[in-house]
Amino acid sequence: MKKLIVLLLLFVGTVNVSAQKYMTKTGSLKFEASVDSFEEIAAENKNTSAILESATGEIAVLTLVKGFRFKIALMEEHFNENYIESDKFPKATFKGKVEDFDVAKLSSASGMFKISGDLTLHGKTKKVTTNAKISKSGDKITITGNFEAKPEDFDIEIPKLVSKKVADKVKITFNLLLTK
Amino acid sequence: MQYSTKLNMKKKIFIIASFLICFYSNAQDDLLSDLDSTQVVDKSVTATFKALQIITLQSTKLAAKKEFYMVISHRFGSVKGGISEFFGFDDATTKIGGIYGVTDWLSVSASHHTLLKMNEASAKFRLVRQSETFPFDIVGYSTIDFNSGLKEEDYPKIEFSDRLSYIHQILISRKFSDRLSLELVPSFIHKNLYNPEIENDNQFTLGAGGRLKLTKRLSLNLEYGQNFNKPDFYNNPLSVGLDIETGGHVFQLLFTNSQSMTESGYLTSAAGDWGKGDFFFGFNLYRVF
Repeated sequence: MKKLIVLLLLFVGTVNVSAQKYMTKTGSLKFEASVDSFEEIAAENKNTSAILESATGEIAVLTLVKGFRFKIALMEEHFNENYIESDKFPKATFKGKVEDFDVAKLSSASGMFKISGDLTLHGKTKKVTTNAKISKSGDKITITGNFEAKPEDFDIEIPKLVSKKVADKVKITFNLLLTK
Repeated sequence: MQYSTKLNMKKKIFIIASFLICFYSNAQDDLLSDLDSTQVVDKSVTATFKALQIITLQSTKLAAKKEFYMVISHRFGSVKGGISEFFGFDDATTKIGGIYGVTDWLSVSASHHTLLKMNEASAKFRLVRQSETFPFDIVGYSTIDFNSGLKEEDYPKIEFSDRLSYIHQILISRKFSDRLSLELVPSFIHKNLYNPEIENDNQFTLGAGGRLKLTKRLSLNLEYGQNFNKPDFYNNPLSVGLDIETGGHVFQLLFTNSQSMTESGYLTSAAGDWGKGDFFFGFNLYRVF
């Protein structure tokens, strides 16, 4: 009987864990690769999905690169056709963990957390680590922050003619409002 | 303990196994796969052509909403003139114009051509887009040419309508692969003023063109127009060109046997003859605002 109770408790435990996922389908992901005194190179994807396992701090982010919107449509077309090659590599993903995450200690005042994991882009995966602000009010968890990535690390080729107009390091900003 | 003894071994194993599966699936729970169902991939085909024109014929590419293109094109004189004409440089003709995207599926354009002082106004509208469910891009292109070069001294009875020509085209393209895109262009041309000795007022042509990408940013283009109502005086237009994308802009370098850049002139009045070394060098430049 004891064994059965233990098993039942464990079972209840697993149910609880899987119910503690926070999620969004409309997260914002922006990147900027502008160089001063040249044309702005920036885009935003407002349909980024993200999921946070509050019991473990594990986090996953998925975005479709075709969903990045530029101010200039031709720039968007070239981004998809020749830089990010979105027909071949439609997704960009991040899978990682918020270190020392404890959902019970979150408050509406945002605290700094370290997030590290694998960023997959253009078919290449690379480890990234960044700091993010995380806050919680009610059933909502907000995660914001930014990090830098180099196009060359992901085999994204920048033609010589425009290499001066595209930043070596691309700044990526994320703003995720997750709900239960 | 009494209860547990009542369960037979099979049932016990079953319960434990089902709990194990429960743990197992939780441990293997990939958060990323949870997200897959949240995103719908856009399956419409884009970047069939790099530029708004294949060479002189229109491609199925349209200006995006609120996008303004300025276009400057040149067709030099025939290279046949050799060095004395600097291979056609001395007889350059120019087209200057603008294209505005009213919305993603409709753009309007106007241009002036130094050759015969022609003016052109066009509307380009996308009817269908190639996608997983439909094999072609289909775009309509309608043009009015206004000839401002006809002088009243030469044509005392000329009326406004005599200066006009109308051209209606259907552009049907398919992107077969990242590298290869092909297009068919049936065109109907009506000229209010024409010379019956060398041409017809109504002409139907079937054009075909395409591009083959040599590298990511360089493509080889070819186009041809078969005119079904053409007396022998003129030839059918045949052009070959290169698209060079410099990361942002697209330059088109080309050779053609038809010097005119208006739709009607290009399709019906090709004076050059490739076989006799009589053809024209030119280029199209686009700038997006």
